[in-house]
Amino acid sequence: MRTRLEKWSLLLSAAAVFVLPTVSSAQLSTSDIDTRLGTESHVGNITGHAKDAKGDYRRYCVGCHGPLGDGNGENAPYMQPPMYQQPRDFQLGIFKCRSTPTGTLPTDQDLYDAITRGFDRSNMPQWNTLSKQQRADLVAWVKHFSPRWVGEKPGTPIPIPPEPEVTAERIKAGRDVFARMQCWKCHGVQGMANGPSASTLQDDLGRPIAAFNFTDGTRPKCGDTDQDIYRIFMTGLDGTPMPSFADNIKPDEAWDLVFYLRTFMSQKSKEKEMAKQLALKPVDPNAPAGQQ
Amino acid sequence: MQVSDRFRFRNILQLASSFAAVALVLASIVLTCSQPANALPAFARKYGLRCSACHESWPMLNYFGQKFKDNGYQLMNDRDAPIWQNPGYWPVVFRITPIWHRVSVGKVQVDTYTAGAPDGGQAIQRVSSSGFDLSGLDFHTGGTLEKNISFYLLPSSDPTGAFHFEQVFVRFDNIFHSSWFNFKLGRFELDNLLSEKRILTLTGNGGIYQTYHFIPQGDGNIFGQIGDNQLGIEYLGHSADDRTRISASLVSSSDGNVNLSTTANAYTGFFAASQAFDAGRLGVQRVGFYAMAGEASTYYLTEGGVPIGGSGIGNKSFSREGFVGQFYFGPHVGLTVVTQHGSDNAWFGQGYGNAEATDGNGGTTATCSSPAPGCPLNNVPGTPLPAGAQSPSWNGATFEGHYIYSPQLIFIGRYEVEKMSQQANGAACTACLQSSSGTFTASGATPSNFGNISTYTIGFRYNPFMTSRAGLAWHNEYNWLHQDGTGPANLTTGALTNINTSEILMGLDFDF
Amino acid sequence: MRNRHNLAVVLSAVVLVGCAALILSQGVNAAGEGKITGTVKLDGPAPHMKGIDMSKDPYCSKAHASDPAHYETYVAGANGGLANVVLYIDGWTGAAQASNAVLVFDQRNCMYTPHVLAMDTGESFKVQTSDQTAHNIHPNPNPMTGNIPWNQSQPPGSPPVEKSWKATEFIPVKCNIHPWMNGWFAVVKGPYATSDENGNFTINNVPPGNYTVTAWHEAAGTQTQKVTVAAGAAASANFTFKAK
Repeated sequence: MRTRLEKWSLLLSAAAVFVLPTVSSAQLSTSDIDTRLGTESHVGNITGHAKDAKGDYRRYCVGCHGPLGDGNGENAPYMQPPMYQQPRDFQLGIFKCRSTPTGTLPTDQDLYDAITRGFDRSNMPQWNTLSKQQRADLVAWVKHFSPRWVGEKPGTPIPIPPEPEVTAERIKAGRDVFARMQCWKCHGVQGMANGPSASTLQDDLGRPIAAFNFTDGTRPKCGDTDQDIYRIFMTGLDGTPMPSFADNIKPDEAWDLVFYLRTFMSQKSKEKEMAKQLALKPVDPNAPAGQQ
Repeated sequence: MQVSDRFRFRNILQLASSFAAVALVLASIVLTCSQPANALPAFARKYGLRCSACHESWPMLNYFGQKFKDNGYQLMNDRDAPIWQNPGYWPVVFRITPIWHRVSVGKVQVDTYTAGAPDGGQAIQRVSSSGFDLSGLDFHTGGTLEKNISFYLLPSSDPTGAFHFEQVFVRFDNIFHSSWFNFKLGRFELDNLLSEKRILTLTGNGGIYQTYHFIPQGDGNIFGQIGDNQLGIEYLGHSADDRTRISASLVSSSDGNVNLSTTANAYTGFFAASQAFDAGRLGVQRVGFYAMAGEASTYYLTEGGVPIGGSGIGNKSFSREGFVGQFYFGPHVGLTVVTQHGSDNAWFGQGYGNAEATDGNGGTTATCSSPAPGCPLNNVPGTPLPAGAQSPSWNGATFEGHYIYSPQLIFIGRYEVEKMSQQANGAACTACLQSSSGTFTASGATPSNFGNISTYTIGFRYNPFMTSRAGLAWHNEYNWLHQDGTGPANLTTGALTNINTSEILMGLDFDF
Repeated sequence: MRNRHNLAVVLSAVVLVGCAALILSQGVNAAGEGKITGTVKLDGPAPHMKGIDMSKDPYCSKAHASDPAHYETYVAGANGGLANVVLYIDGWTGAAQASNAVLVFDQRNCMYTPHVLAMDTGESFKVQTSDQTAHNIHPNPNPMTGNIPWNQSQPPGSPPVEKSWKATEFIPVKCNIHPWMNGWFAVVKGPYATSDENGNFTINNVPPGNYTVTAWHEAAGTQTQKVTVAAGAAASANFTFKAK
């Protein structure tokens, strides 16, 4: 009792304003969340309604994401990195796969695509068996867990210019971008996720996380089209060490980098063929900046 | 469950009507007092998904579960191979079903008694029996051996404890990295969208789909039962999202009986295709069709009059085909429809075909010498097809409706109807063979409705708790079955009689 | 869960009451503004700060070849002064502070300069890099406060990133590429100061009135003191922290 009183007086004497934010992230109760049951989503011409997704969430999602959407479902403790990523905490409203700049909310379409695509190398399957309406409803349901959607608007999707033709010059230019941005610090000079900083990476919750290994045949988490790869490094994967490069890579250079990254991937591609003909060497991590 | 299980509850006992009440009370006590054990259904445990993610209501699959199965028990997230499995994963599920049930057969020919002794007379009366029971024990084990290679093994015990293998197969999936190339080899259930192995009801007559097992009275072809596990190889192709599915299998015409003893040298093909489409708020609908066409022997070499197993020749043909639809009307209401048109060669209609009585589980129990009453017939060389014998054909349909109150509670209602469209014995029949049931002697046309079935089943399954780790359903159902002309013949007039059978079943379906 | 929720309600109530009391007690005085000055000291010897092994990045280790880098959790001056303590006025209800200098958070020699950057809510600051190695600047606030985490790349020659924060919060900043790099954005309301390496500070532009000054240190915690500021005069507030 005494220690409790002491704790209280300590807390009160501290700036109470600052205590609030330091309470663990999973702080919303069902009644808080229920006030947002009217949340809607708009995907294409479909309007999703949070309240219609209640049954589907209970049927398909709750085991991992938990009844409060905080990622603390009954199975979450068993999903240990690096074998699995832990389930997303929807209350925070922070998502890896976005078309919008870092630090902004994703669009409804982004969430819809994530549900449809699932996440490779995680426990999140592809929910493309659900009808479009069901998925749109689930998007609204996912949003209703976080108060962020009440006051904030999703970011404006970053523009992606039309994809140019792949050329040897572009692949070489992409290699320069890779060197200049020092992507290899985490991803390694051959894209094998073995850069000098790879072993110390942590996500925002302090859990170990691996850089993407381009060479092992798996798909990038946020999609594997050229546009998806473009989007991944330009928006960054919020909540992870992967930053946004939007301020540092020009759109045209970004395509060069996409083509160069393709040369790492084990899947057959035009880029891979061209790189072979060019006999491209991996970047030299010890070369002075600008002299690759 | 195999067709021969149908009559397994028919031991005749005296009904004590109070048993029903006692059983209900006991069931409630068990339900309220039992702690959920750390039971771990294999796949749910492996992936941490709840039962409800894959099962509309366990064991019936929903579309997501069907896709998981079609991918070779894989979520396709690059975490399916065994090295990614949580050490707590053990790919075995036990299923036991302790139940109380009551069977009431409308017409049974029984001995009559005078002052405590048989008086030599006979009467036809209703016989009811009830009691506690077990419907057997299943060991399901299955999963991935390696990425894209998986297996399934289902040893199953009948209520006496005798084991047999219900399903044994390996599958190879996503060959050439394509979801259109998947193969399965072994003993497996045919690609029925409405899976009988995943049926939600358990009674003798209601625990199978009549449409999947219908055989005209006296017909010797047991090989066209699409509900039974079959031995063979299956090709399956599907789109990545499983909206489009197509499968073709080649199986032995042995009704799944092993050791080439039942029949041999005859094969059956089964083809199924379906397409799902998004119907907005109603949900994802699926329509498809299936066709089975095959041959089976009608003639066996004999030694001392006894057919030699595996010596079947004299192949005759049969076919089954129909449409399948899985319709949803919003999140709570679903309706599955299966239709069937079946046709057997006239030889089968006359009782030729199955040379050996099977136990329905892959073995044989007795070898008949033929021809003998009660035994299948052998189409020995030179046997003429009786005048007036014709191909029996029929039409059937199954309508199964679900009301899904929540992932934990489902109500089931089913209506099935099987109607003969052409009897084996036509109007010109003068020497058609006697039906093997012995209930009527054929002369002239068999009554057109003889052997028709209509049956209703209603029930519900309630999972008192739902986690990723246990499956326990409290199960209640009622089935009523009517069949035309197959009751005991009227004792004075010898006229055909219809028979009604009803069953009540309540109990627990454990899956752990 | 419920307890936490109740705690939050109680605390918000306390804050509201406190604010109300402050408003009532503070007479509006149009006379010249005062300031609060003082020193923050560390009681006892400064804890030993571990050296940083930067060998994974040759650029970083070269930069510190003659002057080995240490963690900066406690930076104490020769006189026992404690640096990097943020001082601000608890429950400030006045206007936002006009920013007279551009706040800069520099990535220099694989360390953050300053280690703690204090700012008012809504005040903009610049993140820049002086290094020839790639960083990423990754503040990790709690999004429930209204401050949203972001993560931007800072390869050599990056243009500065200009940002601001909405809500009061002490926000840890890190670079995932160089895990030893950590710093703080101290977002407060109203006038603020950060103690220098001698522990000295001055909070300017404080209108006369009664205040509670709070001193925050990233590891040693917070302390408060009541002060009365007279028109045009300097009130004094000294703090002594114990290393934890």
